[in-house]
Amino acid sequence: MTKTEKPTAHAGATAASQRESVLQDRIENIEKESGAKAVAVALHDGETDFDLHYRADRWFHAASTIKVPILLGVFAAIDRGELLPHSRVHVRNRFLSVVENVPFRVESGRDSNSAVHNSIGKMMRVDELAYHMITTSSNLATNLLLGVIGPESVTQTLKELHVDEGIELKRGVEDELAFEKGISNMVTANGLLKILVMLAEGKAFSPALSRRMMDILHGQEFNQGIPARLPKGTRVAHKTGEISTVAHDAGVVYLPKRKPYSLVVLTEWDQGATGRSRTIASISHAIYETLTGTAVKDE
Amino acid sequence: MTASAPTGNRMAEAPIFPLRVVDGLTLPPEYRKALRPGEEWKDAVGVSRQLPRYFYEVPSWDTAMKIELATHFLLWEFIQVDVREAPALRTFPRYVPCAITLLAVCLERFREAVGTMVHISANGGYRSPSHRFSRNATPHAWGTAANIFRIGDTYLDNRNAIERFSLIARETLPGIWTRPYGTPTGYAEDHLHLDLGYVLSVPRDVNS
Repeated sequence: MTKTEKPTAHAGATAASQRESVLQDRIENIEKESGAKAVAVALHDGETDFDLHYRADRWFHAASTIKVPILLGVFAAIDRGELLPHSRVHVRNRFLSVVENVPFRVESGRDSNSAVHNSIGKMMRVDELAYHMITTSSNLATNLLLGVIGPESVTQTLKELHVDEGIELKRGVEDELAFEKGISNMVTANGLLKILVMLAEGKAFSPALSRRMMDILHGQEFNQGIPARLPKGTRVAHKTGEISTVAHDAGVVYLPKRKPYSLVVLTEWDQGATGRSRTIASISHAIYETLTGTAVKDE
Repeated sequence: MTASAPTGNRMAEAPIFPLRVVDGLTLPPEYRKALRPGEEWKDAVGVSRQLPRYFYEVPSWDTAMKIELATHFLLWEFIQVDVREAPALRTFPRYVPCAITLLAVCLERFREAVGTMVHISANGGYRSPSHRFSRNATPHAWGTAANIFRIGDTYLDNRNAIERFSLIARETLPGIWTRPYGTPTGYAEDHLHLDLGYVLSVPRDVNS
């Protein structure tokens, strides 16, 4: 390192530290104003390598963000040749709880899209189910895919890819009996961030398979969280998660002429609390402004 | 026994069934491993059952889509299986036990009785002993069982529907067995299972 570079590097470090401090303050303020019980944020900017970890190791109920690790598990099976994207899966609405194997069904009203429920008794392709699992958060599609690959294979995949820290997959979704017994899928912001960064960098199995997973995440139809207050035309590949007491969003934000940044926002709430998506959108907005130095006009 | 075309039909004017009969014991190893032709297999209560040895060879999905096993039942409906089936049996040619034709006739009779369409579910017709759903000897591996998930516009996912159509099946088809409604193993709560038991069909062409 030359003498002239040293002050620059120091200035860079100072700028990053200032940026971190500014962001921490902004997030803290948003959190206070929101009335959320807890907020966690994890950020990695591919352009500047700037990282932010705000209570990022705190565990939250995963809600539907667990579908990102499951997507990874499905593509692991494709990578191993055990599944093909067009392999067909019997659509059956009957699953066994992890508690004493009690059968349960996914209520059709809980899925925002009827496409999978309309195929009961028939078959759908693995790639179709993966698409519905992510883009409209179909719980039926999720449990069907998990039934084919098995939760243990997802866990094994996460281990092999060294992204198992901060992710606990214990069961399928809508397993109410398990929920009542306190058996839930859990995530940390850092855990989800590692997966997103790996996908954004094309390092999950192969660049081609990573791209296919990102394409699915780009199809997300619920956009009230991370994308809501970003400039028009910003592309966000993401997955939301929401139950009565948590609201999350985890995604990769693509802006013109710069590398993407990966962002996870996890929030916990009292039942019936309002402003959940607005809080996530505000945090996303603050991060965008801080990283780009650009103010976004809300419309 | 070599595979034989159905040349022994004495009624010259009758349509010839277009599928070749194959002795499972003459098939390549990957098929024999998955189909286990003629082997013994224990059912849920430990009784040994002999698996089918003779199969119809289905050359392509196109063929399966065209062949009528009964007026309202095409062959493809009986061989829809998903990723849980053994890989060798998910590509063509596919093999289906010869008793499948008996099941089709029964379902046609059942369809007449209910007066509307009868839908067999995926994995609900023939599935091999190697299918991941086949834990014990099940008539599905004999080609003599069907899981019906919908009749007309009625989804068979509740007690009322399952028991109503189960009764019609038993009244219409002497000797048919239907799975009782319920959630424990051996019961069904999201489809109507009916079967003819462990029937082995040996076509006339087979001479060994």
